[in-house]
Amino acid sequence: MKNTAVLVNEFGKVGLDHHLLRRADERTVLLGHGCVCCTTREDLVGALLELLDEEDRGSIQPLDRVVIETTGLADPAPILFTVFSHPVLQHHYYVDLVISTVDAMNGEQHLDRNSESSKQIAASDVVVLTKTDVAEVGAAGRLYGKIHGINPYARVIEAPFGEVDSAKLLRPPASPTPARESPVPVDSQHVSRTHSTSLTFDGPVDWAAFGTWFSMLLHARGEEVLRVKGLLDAGGEGPVLLNGVQHVMHPPEHLEEWPNEDHSTRLVFITRGIRSEDLLASLEAFRNLIGAGPRLVEAEAPV
Amino acid sequence: MCVLCGRDFVAQAHWTDRHLEDRARSSGGDPLEYQRDRRRERVRRAVIVDKVLRHYGLRVQEWSGSKYLVRDGKGRSELVQDLGSLWPAAERLAGRPLDPLDPALHEALLRGGRDG
Repeated sequence: MKNTAVLVNEFGKVGLDHHLLRRADERTVLLGHGCVCCTTREDLVGALLELLDEEDRGSIQPLDRVVIETTGLADPAPILFTVFSHPVLQHHYYVDLVISTVDAMNGEQHLDRNSESSKQIAASDVVVLTKTDVAEVGAAGRLYGKIHGINPYARVIEAPFGEVDSAKLLRPPASPTPARESPVPVDSQHVSRTHSTSLTFDGPVDWAAFGTWFSMLLHARGEEVLRVKGLLDAGGEGPVLLNGVQHVMHPPEHLEEWPNEDHSTRLVFITRGIRSEDLLASLEAFRNLIGAGPRLVEAEAPV
Repeated sequence: MCVLCGRDFVAQAHWTDRHLEDRARSSGGDPLEYQRDRRRERVRRAVIVDKVLRHYGLRVQEWSGSKYLVRDGKGRSELVQDLGSLWPAAERLAGRPLDPLDPALHEALLRGGRDG
């Protein structure tokens, strides 16, 4: 965690030695059509620009990383939107990981009752299970199942006694394949209307046509598309890395090579209210434009 | 907007256009080739979007290398920058929601594919 700045909503009780700790009170500016994820977090713009400025002036050590700690129920989408859309920030910052913490004692209850928490899991690259040292036996195992039931891509790590290996925590994301490491079967029974759809195509897709379909889907149903992630075979040397949270898309990366021998499209859609068969029927109708047909790899049964 | 050439200065490329910008930046290549690539891709995309929006009684064409022109059958039209602004404009002109999950759209696209 060397050369790391930490932006927090509220100061915690424990100081972080050798780290830059700043307070950034949430200030949002609603844009466009007023949907929540397309808002700019002005507080973060100010704080992140200030860090750049101080680094340029040499008043702080050069930074490798900024950790933004949000409130428990914060929506990550506006933070991503802020970094991707700001004319200065988008050239200086890259969103590395979205990390959520889940309390192993109460996490199950939250995931069962609170739709916001499942939205946060859907948006996460890494989920940290806290309090596994005091939770009842089996609670962590059940949570693995619930978390992967919502987001098969999430990497889950445990932090007993609040200790976590930062190198493991901040490890760059591997190639996006479902992280099936659950010690118990995946549980998709708990979050009503949340669907996880994994699909591939029977050939390379036309990027312009796929972008047309997907941007139309995000326009019409953006708030129901909690997450999309995966590698798309667009006929190039390497795949296109797609990663989006609600309306907010990471700038797609056209990679120079595939991460492994499997050169087929692997996409996961985590949706609320959109069924796997809806996505398949739509992609099937767009087949002539996209240049390939969709094939379901795996879909979690809705409840 | 530049008063001389009439073009907007766009601070941010839509995600569907990012690969072209990235390619231009990473190769440091020929700006004319980049413009040709960009124009070609925009024209191709306009053709694709046009096929989708026919179902809603709308037509789309690339306009001047920097915009898309969306128009309806009553002579109304809107100029938009990219796909991010195209769908809301098309929805205004169509007067109804545009939904890629709509079975009626699927039927129209499949019929269009069969008819060539």
